[in-house]
Amino acid sequence: MIKTENLTKTFSSGTKAVDNLNINVEDGEIFGFLGPNGAGKSTTIKILTTLSRPTSGQAWVGGHNVLTEPVKVRCSIGYVAQETGIDYFLTGRENLVLQGRLYRMDGKAINRRVDELLELFSIKDNADQLVSTYSGGMRRKLDIATALIHNPRLIFLDEPTLGLDPHSRSQLWNYIRMLNSELKVTIFLTTHYLDEADKLSNRIGILHKGSIKIIDTPDKLKDSIRGDSVNLELKGSAKDKAISILKGDSKVKEILLENDHVRVYVNNGSEAIQWLMKLLNQNGIDVSSLSISRPSLDDVYLKYSGASFKEGDSAEGGEPWWAKWQKGGWGKNWKGGEDSNDKNEAVGWDQNWTKGEWEMEQDDKQEVTADKDKEDIKDKENKEEENIEEPWKKWQGTPEAAEWWSKQGKKEG
Amino acid sequence: MVQLVSDTWYLFNKYLRITLRMPMWALFTIIQPLIWLLIFGQLFKNMASLPGFPQGRYMDFFLPGAVIMTVLFGTSWSGVSLLREINFGTVEKMLVTPVSRVSIVMSRVIHTAVTVIIQCLIIMIIAIIFGASVSGVKGALLSLVIVFLLSLGFSGISNGLAMWLKREEPLVMLGNMMTLPLMFLSSAMVPKSFMPEWIRVITKINPIDYAVEAIRAFYSGGVSLQAILVGFLFLSLFAVTAISWATEMFMNQSE
Repeated sequence: MIKTENLTKTFSSGTKAVDNLNINVEDGEIFGFLGPNGAGKSTTIKILTTLSRPTSGQAWVGGHNVLTEPVKVRCSIGYVAQETGIDYFLTGRENLVLQGRLYRMDGKAINRRVDELLELFSIKDNADQLVSTYSGGMRRKLDIATALIHNPRLIFLDEPTLGLDPHSRSQLWNYIRMLNSELKVTIFLTTHYLDEADKLSNRIGILHKGSIKIIDTPDKLKDSIRGDSVNLELKGSAKDKAISILKGDSKVKEILLENDHVRVYVNNGSEAIQWLMKLLNQNGIDVSSLSISRPSLDDVYLKYSGASFKEGDSAEGGEPWWAKWQKGGWGKNWKGGEDSNDKNEAVGWDQNWTKGEWEMEQDDKQEVTADKDKEDIKDKENKEEENIEEPWKKWQGTPEAAEWWSKQGKKEG
Repeated sequence: MVQLVSDTWYLFNKYLRITLRMPMWALFTIIQPLIWLLIFGQLFKNMASLPGFPQGRYMDFFLPGAVIMTVLFGTSWSGVSLLREINFGTVEKMLVTPVSRVSIVMSRVIHTAVTVIIQCLIIMIIAIIFGASVSGVKGALLSLVIVFLLSLGFSGISNGLAMWLKREEPLVMLGNMMTLPLMFLSSAMVPKSFMPEWIRVITKINPIDYAVEAIRAFYSGGVSLQAILVGFLFLSLFAVTAISWATEMFMNQSE
């Protein structure tokens, strides 16, 4: 459905947004396209939807070349951008009809299709109200409906659930699944919510600095990170110190940093806790909290999107990502908006990350709505709790634990 | 070509519908000319008795000026709303459809011109109530054609500048900066006989001056066919050039 060959886009400023990209999206799959802000996701989508021209390389969408047959490409795809492009001062129905007109469908076909879509997305009751009166979730649904007006075989969804409440999100997930399984629409999805990518995608590609680092099914990606991750919460300079100590340890497979959390990957989590705590205590490092988990997509994502410390061959040459950011090397991309065609990407990476990932976990826990996904979430939570609690309990009996707890007690007292 | 016309028609429809859904727009549309005609009419009333001033009352003289001011103020917003639509993602949503790129600019420009025509109609009616003399219906209608051409041109310029400047603030600044000088470099407010020589030379290339002269001729009835023909030709050329430029700018930026 989508095929690119050495696709490259260089901006006039010299920034390489997309760098020799090769992807192949199969007919009928949901393809999750992940990567940090500034990785080139939006630029790639712009090229594939004929909004932007590549500097070099080729791309075929729905069997048509984006450079030589742009009109055929446009007719075979639907595009739901980050900004809802629907008109707020038209009604839902008017928006749909106009979109049909822009695809040059004839009047009767438009009316039939509009009724179908209003029914499908259950916006029939509000169809004749102005979009400005719609809720965020309803606007999203209408936006997706307008992208489907001409029955495309492929749609691009660029962060479709951004800013939606948990209920609307899981509702939208159901629509996306339905589109894929019942209407056989191929879906090209970008998102910063990793659980979303995990739940929806058949395959996931992780983009970093304009090229694909890895493509595989979510399960295989998770399996690729063997062992457990020990999540240490450390404050300020303790973080750097801990990283420099643990980096040299042969038992540590990998270290990733995520805000105040240092993730240490080891073969056996419960065993590692003992010597980890010992090692850190010996060096006078205070651990605020600690947990163990099985690898999730987060770990995979962090590994391939350049937050790794352990691997010398990572894109940053082993240097912590924030060091570059402080020096202003990457800052240009992230804060100064060199990649200025991408509005959201002007926000600092960690900022967005914090907002997306951590709040989302909160969202999931707060979710009380009766929905199909509720079960999924519950299951997932239970699993996580088990994983965390079991080794934790083991550790609690040990002398190290006693020492640690007494230390915590002193601090508070 | 058929597709260009139908694309333009559907988009124009959208814009017009949105405009008509703003009750405040209609209200201010009526209030604005009232204020102008009242204040300007009173302020410059005695100017008409100055030696060298063309015969008649200032209201008769100023009416075309009020119409032109409406055109300039009304069209300078066209580019601002284009930028807003771009930021909002509406333009991108249009660009992923096979819709003709030219029609996106055309529909905007025509929509602006039509809203200006509505405003000018209101001005004319109010001016007549205030006592301006109109020679005939035909003249009034022909003057609206002139207004239409001029509006197409200036809203084309506004859209083109929007694509060049890419930001609302400088665009509004530039619009404000251009409006009054363009007015003063024409006979909209002051008769030509009062102007210094160099300004009189500049008026020859100012599309506004052609429009003012043509509209004035329609109202007074003293129409010289040649002058009107030249006016129509010059304004048509102006409109076509401005729209082509705006379309060119839009296509370049959207690639």
